[in-house]
Amino acid sequence: MEFLEFLGNRADDLLEMGLAHAAIVGAAVLIATVIGVALGIATYRTERPREFVLAITGTFLTIPSFALFILLLGPLGLGWPPVLFALVLYGLLPVVRNTITGLREVDPAVIESAQGMGLNRRQRLLRIELPLAWPVVITGVRVTTLVLLGIAAIGAVVNGPGYGEMIFTGLARVGTPVAVNMVLAGTLGVIVLAVLFDLIFYTVQRLTTSRGIR
Amino acid sequence: MTQTPQTAPEPEVMIRLENLTKRFPGTQRNAVDGLTLDIHAGEIVVLVGPSGCGKTTTMKMINRIIEPTSGRIILGGEDVTTTNADQLRRRIGYVIQQTGLFPHLTIGENVATVPKLLGWDAARTRSRVDELLSMVNMDPDEYRGRYPKQLSGGQQQRVGVARALGGDPQVMLMDEPFGAIDPITRERLQNEFLRLQSEVRKTIVFVTHDIDEAIKMGDRIAILQEGSSIAQYDTPEKILTAPANDFVRDFIGGGASLKRLSLSRVRDIELASWPTVSAADSLEQAHRVLRESDHSAVLVLDTEGRPARWVGAEDLRRGAGQSLDRIGTVPQAVVESRATLSDALNELIAARYAVTVVVDQDGRHLGVVDIEQINEAIRSMRHSAVAEARTEFADGRTAP
Ligand SMILES: Nc1ncnc2c1ncn2[C@@H]1O[C@H](COP(=O)(O)OP(=O)(O)OP(=O)(O)O)[C@@H](O)[C@H]1O
Ligand SMILES: [Mg+2]
Repeated sequence: MEFLEFLGNRADDLLEMGLAHAAIVGAAVLIATVIGVALGIATYRTERPREFVLAITGTFLTIPSFALFILLLGPLGLGWPPVLFALVLYGLLPVVRNTITGLREVDPAVIESAQGMGLNRRQRLLRIELPLAWPVVITGVRVTTLVLLGIAAIGAVVNGPGYGEMIFTGLARVGTPVAVNMVLAGTLGVIVLAVLFDLIFYTVQRLTTSRGIR
Repeated sequence: MTQTPQTAPEPEVMIRLENLTKRFPGTQRNAVDGLTLDIHAGEIVVLVGPSGCGKTTTMKMINRIIEPTSGRIILGGEDVTTTNADQLRRRIGYVIQQTGLFPHLTIGENVATVPKLLGWDAARTRSRVDELLSMVNMDPDEYRGRYPKQLSGGQQQRVGVARALGGDPQVMLMDEPFGAIDPITRERLQNEFLRLQSEVRKTIVFVTHDIDEAIKMGDRIAILQEGSSIAQYDTPEKILTAPANDFVRDFIGGGASLKRLSLSRVRDIELASWPTVSAADSLEQAHRVLRESDHSAVLVLDTEGRPARWVGAEDLRRGAGQSLDRIGTVPQAVVESRATLSDALNELIAARYAVTVVVDQDGRHLGVVDIEQINEAIRSMRHSAVAEARTEFADGRTAP
């Protein structure tokens, strides 16, 4: 098999690209989660700010990624900075939306009884509302991760790290025998990462969700 | 010589509501309109009235889940209208109809909520949790580690009560705590709660829209009209015998004498006796006892003295050769002696031999109640009500 041979020859490269791809997506997901959850917490109780935040983060997702990477070239240059920045923007909506949905779905009777027992605003949020909203929040983070894994590949147009490089090089050589192998290997790499990330999230979700709400 | 008059000491006022008013933003009328009410320490005060009259709003102003528009709340002599609400709430137990248990925490963690907020150490908290669970008849070892979804509705409500008692508050607020529970379980929970209250003696504000529940649970009842205006604030006896106005009369509805059966407990009347045999006795002995009595069945008691079977002549004939606790029927109509006469009557109506068996706390047989005794109880209540009304008239007092 020619493709397997190709994989064997380029194994080191592929592993390195995989790590870089995972690292940039991991970093973007982390930052998007922190910002997204914070935005969700800040706005879920008031209608106007809530709608505003959802509209803005939703708009980010409609910008074609190719265009955004090029636009960021000016201010952020080549390499990982524009990619990370763009990925964070793309990753916000699922996190923000699920944080807001999760927090708003908490049974009002539960919140009222927490209030009635003398938990202050902060204690209610940290001990009751967030743990109850958590399964919904982490589902949003999962979605964000899958979306970003794909978009990150396009970051190669600005010399971003990851499997994009392999795919784009292959595209540039369309017509040569190696082209298909390169595109296929890069795509496969992204898919493998997606499966691995999902496994991790599945485990984290199980470990961090109370048995009482599973 | 001067004589000091022997006056009974006024019971301490635990909660005083002064001219309490709530107008929700964007509404035309006050949901609670200038309510003034004194609630004495150690009493259960029931707020009862038609839907929308302001019961819940009134109650939630006491722990300031709803902030009053004007007026004052005085708790144990201290004005708490504007003090720190979170600290105030840790001193007030709060039970709601939907229980509001924290689904992601175990039963033990739920009950430990307030002790933890109060900064109790782990050992003290743990023993308090076990004590509270036992108090509401839940085995701590069995239930401590469970999650709310693993309990029945009735058990969840028990945990809700235990959790509210966590910080040993002086005051409990309960909004229709048994409202969403089936009638049989509700009755059991009511009885359990009354037993619990006889031990803990909290000051309780209890909201319901069910007058029967109000009569059963209340030391004092406030019947409320629209805007939480008080139609009558009095003991259940007074409200049933001397309703202050037509609104109260209508609200009590028909069957006031039947309702008054909720005021007397089975232990307050003399029980009738019924022929019994022990499960270890022979069928012949049972036969003899039955023949010598003028009843159609004997009650078989187990070795602990608990009712085990009703056995009639027919059962004895058909069950020849078997032991007494294997024949006949299991007694269904059984109440504890703390049950009300109304409970006993309810059971009696459906009972096989037209009697309700009465047992003590441990389930041991004490006697039976039949329709004659219920009649007698109604007669004597009516007499004493009339007598009381007469003396009040003679004293020149008017009905409240
Ligand atoms: N948050 C609110 N905003 C506006 N009006 C309210 C609000 N809460 C209650 N009300 C109004 O205040 C009045 C009293 O309501 P409340 O909930 O105290 O009644 P209730 O006596 O507890 O009734 P129920 O037996 O149905 O529970 C009602 O007319 C209700 O519509
Ligand atoms: Mg209500």
